[in-house]
Amino acid sequence: MSLRTSFLGLDLQSPVIVASGPASHDVNQVRTAEEQGAGAVVLKTACSDRYAEMRSWPRPRYKLLDWDRQIRGRSKAFSLYSYEQGYSGTLGDYWEFIRACKSRTSLPVIGSIFAGPPGEWEDLAGHVESNGADAVELDISSPHRPGSLAFESTFVAAIRAVARGVKIPVLVKLAPGPDVPDQCVAAEQAGASALTLCNRLRGIDVDCESQRPILHGSYGGIGGPWAKYYTMRHVAEAAQRISVPISATGGVMTGEDAVKYILLGASTVQVLSVILVNGWESIGRINDSVLSYCDRKQVHAVRELCGRALEHLTPPGEITRWSGEPIDGPRNDWKE
Amino acid sequence: MTGKSDKYPGLSPLPPPFAGEDPPIAEVIVEKCIGCDRCPPLCFFDSLFMEEAPGHPFGRVALVVPGKCTGCGLCFEACPVDAFRWVPGPRPARGGREDR
Repeated sequence: MSLRTSFLGLDLQSPVIVASGPASHDVNQVRTAEEQGAGAVVLKTACSDRYAEMRSWPRPRYKLLDWDRQIRGRSKAFSLYSYEQGYSGTLGDYWEFIRACKSRTSLPVIGSIFAGPPGEWEDLAGHVESNGADAVELDISSPHRPGSLAFESTFVAAIRAVARGVKIPVLVKLAPGPDVPDQCVAAEQAGASALTLCNRLRGIDVDCESQRPILHGSYGGIGGPWAKYYTMRHVAEAAQRISVPISATGGVMTGEDAVKYILLGASTVQVLSVILVNGWESIGRINDSVLSYCDRKQVHAVRELCGRALEHLTPPGEITRWSGEPIDGPRNDWKE
Repeated sequence: MTGKSDKYPGLSPLPPPFAGEDPPIAEVIVEKCIGCDRCPPLCFFDSLFMEEAPGHPFGRVALVVPGKCTGCGLCFEACPVDAFRWVPGPRPARGGREDR
């Protein structure tokens, strides 16, 4: 039994991928991810020059909410609230970063980009490809990005342009919400090779003492282990509508979380918060746990698990129901 | 309530007062540090490390490299004894306000 799996034609040593973020902004982190057993790394998102202000970072920009330090991340209820920004260097620095990752590690590297008009997306994706990345993720749903998050009017053309412009696989990262299944279909039709589900939500928290929104007074990105349940639903819904693979991300703290996502139709899972609160060793712990589960279930390859729970997903009309209170029950009997 | 409480101390939810003028960086309050090793692994910018501190009650303390700290705030969350404070840091060579 091995965790080795194929994803978008890439040979991964594990289905656990490091998500784009603070754990993927320098080449040494990519080396650490490889040593810890990650299957791939999605590099921190590079923004086009139009959004150059995203390369400058506010201070501070991370706040753990409902976080109990005394148990060091074993709480499953905390939220990561952040004002995360883009890769801090220039685009030239980012291309060099990709080359360094490819020359110094053997881990599959997925570039991540964010841009404006479709041509800009295509241009950036072309550079990601020509500098050696194995795939490109379009971060169309960052909770921190300026401007509109409107999908149809803004991003479908960008996905189409990139898909036509590069030969490497194109992942599209969507935000959670009721439109996820339709957006997955639209992204697949536009040429997406895979969907990454889901980004964190844009939220806000207030400090009651000062009566100000926390950190810098703006909206922040909000996610955490609690977020996995609605993302699991999105994965399940999407897996029934699209044929391209899904990389699930959101609140994965344990191997069990990863297995659940895979059982609901994901091919890979992306992690970040767990590294942030429990360290890089979390990747190995998740790997070991998934491996142990596969052994226990006598599964020879992790891909065999993909979508198994969907076979038992029951439409509301087919749920066995029994009557509630009897019609002549105590409901309307007023007790004096 | 959000903010500092007994159960969830950590990082103050608001930036330090000087944050509009100078870039904040973290600084270890040496007399409070218990040398527990929790903060260096949490720093994604290689700006925290442990150093032997002969004479200190715990024999070792965390230290911040001022030029590397990006003021993200995560070390405040990692510290079990509130041994971090904000201080004005060096202006970054790139990405600082003066570059805009």
